[in-house]
Amino acid sequence: MTKEKNILKKYPILGLILFGAVLALVPPLAEAGVLKNGYITTIGGTLIYAIAALGLNILLGWSGLISLGTAGFMGLASYISAYLTIDLELPFEAAFILAVLIPTLLGILVGLVSLKIEGLYLAIATLAVSEVLRKTFEELVPFTGGFSGKSADYPTLLGVFELDRTTTYYFIVAILVIVMILTYNMMNGKLGRALNAMRGSEAAAQAMGVNLLTHRLIAFALATVFASIAGVLYVHFIKFSYPSTWILKLSLDFLAIIIIGGLRSIYGTVLGAFIVFAVPDLFLKQIPYFENLSYVLNGLLIIVVIIFYPNGLVGIGYDIKKFFRKLRKGGKKDE
Amino acid sequence: METGSIYALAALGIIIIYRTSYTTNFAQGAVAMFNTFVVTFLFNKFGLPLWLAVIGGILSAILMGFLIDVLILRHTKNVSPVAKQIITLGLIMIVLGLAPIFFGVDPLRLPRLIESGDLSLLGASISYNGLFNIALGLAIMLLMFYILQKTKWGLAIRTTASNEYVARLMGVPTKNVTMAAWGVAGVLGVIAGVMTAPMTSVTLNLMDEVQITALVACVLGGFQTFHGPVIGAYIMGIVRNLLLFYVSSVWGGQILYILILVFIVFRPYGLIGKKIVKKV
Repeated sequence: MTKEKNILKKYPILGLILFGAVLALVPPLAEAGVLKNGYITTIGGTLIYAIAALGLNILLGWSGLISLGTAGFMGLASYISAYLTIDLELPFEAAFILAVLIPTLLGILVGLVSLKIEGLYLAIATLAVSEVLRKTFEELVPFTGGFSGKSADYPTLLGVFELDRTTTYYFIVAILVIVMILTYNMMNGKLGRALNAMRGSEAAAQAMGVNLLTHRLIAFALATVFASIAGVLYVHFIKFSYPSTWILKLSLDFLAIIIIGGLRSIYGTVLGAFIVFAVPDLFLKQIPYFENLSYVLNGLLIIVVIIFYPNGLVGIGYDIKKFFRKLRKGGKKDE
Repeated sequence: METGSIYALAALGIIIIYRTSYTTNFAQGAVAMFNTFVVTFLFNKFGLPLWLAVIGGILSAILMGFLIDVLILRHTKNVSPVAKQIITLGLIMIVLGLAPIFFGVDPLRLPRLIESGDLSLLGASISYNGLFNIALGLAIMLLMFYILQKTKWGLAIRTTASNEYVARLMGVPTKNVTMAAWGVAGVLGVIAGVMTAPMTSVTLNLMDEVQITALVACVLGGFQTFHGPVIGAYIMGIVRNLLLFYVSSVWGGQILYILILVFIVFRPYGLIGKKIVKKV
């Protein structure tokens, strides 16, 4: 037991890959009848949201910059990818690259703005950007299909491998693991330390030689890249993109994910995504009257977590262990 | 001007809470939506006259503001500002989840306060109801500023806003002040809601646009003063209608947002705001 743990500690990336392998068990389990078939869509969607939330976690958790525009960028990427693959019939890979590149350029532009403004001014500025994007989705009918939305197909890799729902799910898991590994490496390296310093104190970070401009731009670029990847995966997995999906509520959900799961925690982000998106769909909908309450529950959970658990639910296992150890120690003293 | 009044009321609600509780209340719109539903419900289901229904809505708004402050915000003294903002985002979720349970998901209709009549003014026609809204908005603004500047309560709010700790030392009941601020913000919200409702139907996202515009107006006017956001809101209301009318009915809204974003880049602290110097 301890040996295994040491291995995981020594090679954390192995842990992430194992985690991916566990997630990849879902479709076989569904085929075996242990899980319902519809769960694949729900869990796949949850993992997509987890990717976007990881990007926001880099922005808010590590670098301390708040953004309420995640949904807008994700939507933009989904529309671009759908437009390029369906209307222009470009291969999936080309569409993927373009659909990530264009929103990222926009994200960097927002990053430039972020140099000038702080805190809640920034939150509201990104909110305004997201709102402009959403209205554009509604009005730019030839490109986005307006209110009736835009549809896309499951991706075809390298022009040969036509994926179906299950294989697309594997594709999503693979991308999630890659994104998690990338995040892990970046945030535990030089970049992560620089961003951490920037969050702690800008003046001190500058004095230590951290270039604020480049690092803020990098943070915003990473967040938009992740959001765009999530957007592309979304439109090719769920197969539809409506303007009403990319509203403020979705951006708030992303915030909820990283707050509930835990700031600066990679596993926490995925855990948060499951709590926010999968739990209401998988369990609460089975209980009558709970359909609407799931939203209330999420709101309550956010507030409770912030007040009592500022580090997120990911730390709860550790705390329970500590609590038991304390109990045992206390018990021994009594003897 | 009419939309400007609505934005200004909502913006004033946000700024009062910001100054006393140090958090941007993202839930202002959601709470206003909820209470507009209360008004509509009282009007449609119980057949109360509209003015009585509005009073009912105001009471429920005050109650809700108090509840939010006592149950939640009072326990967040040691929470970072960003986390506080996210708490109000959590509030949005709770309100949005509760509203359909109480009021159903069907859109409801709320009539105007003054049913009919148009007035021709400088070639543009304006309804009596619109005029009434403008007048009411301005009257409420003036009343609020009078209270803020001239009365003891206003002084208490202003001292709490400038330094809560010292205010408490000086014997200002800061807890009551914060609570009252939430109540007042709720009332401002429901009035803005009742003004907005006749233009569309009463649905869950009734106040979304008003909320976003009000927040942007706060940024435009600067968060440091009480009057800045109100001026910002009126500017936004007027410019928005001009853009929608003269430039493009489809793209007017977006153009306005982009103009304001550009403005923020050059004046990051708003029209009237001052730069807050951060200490290391």
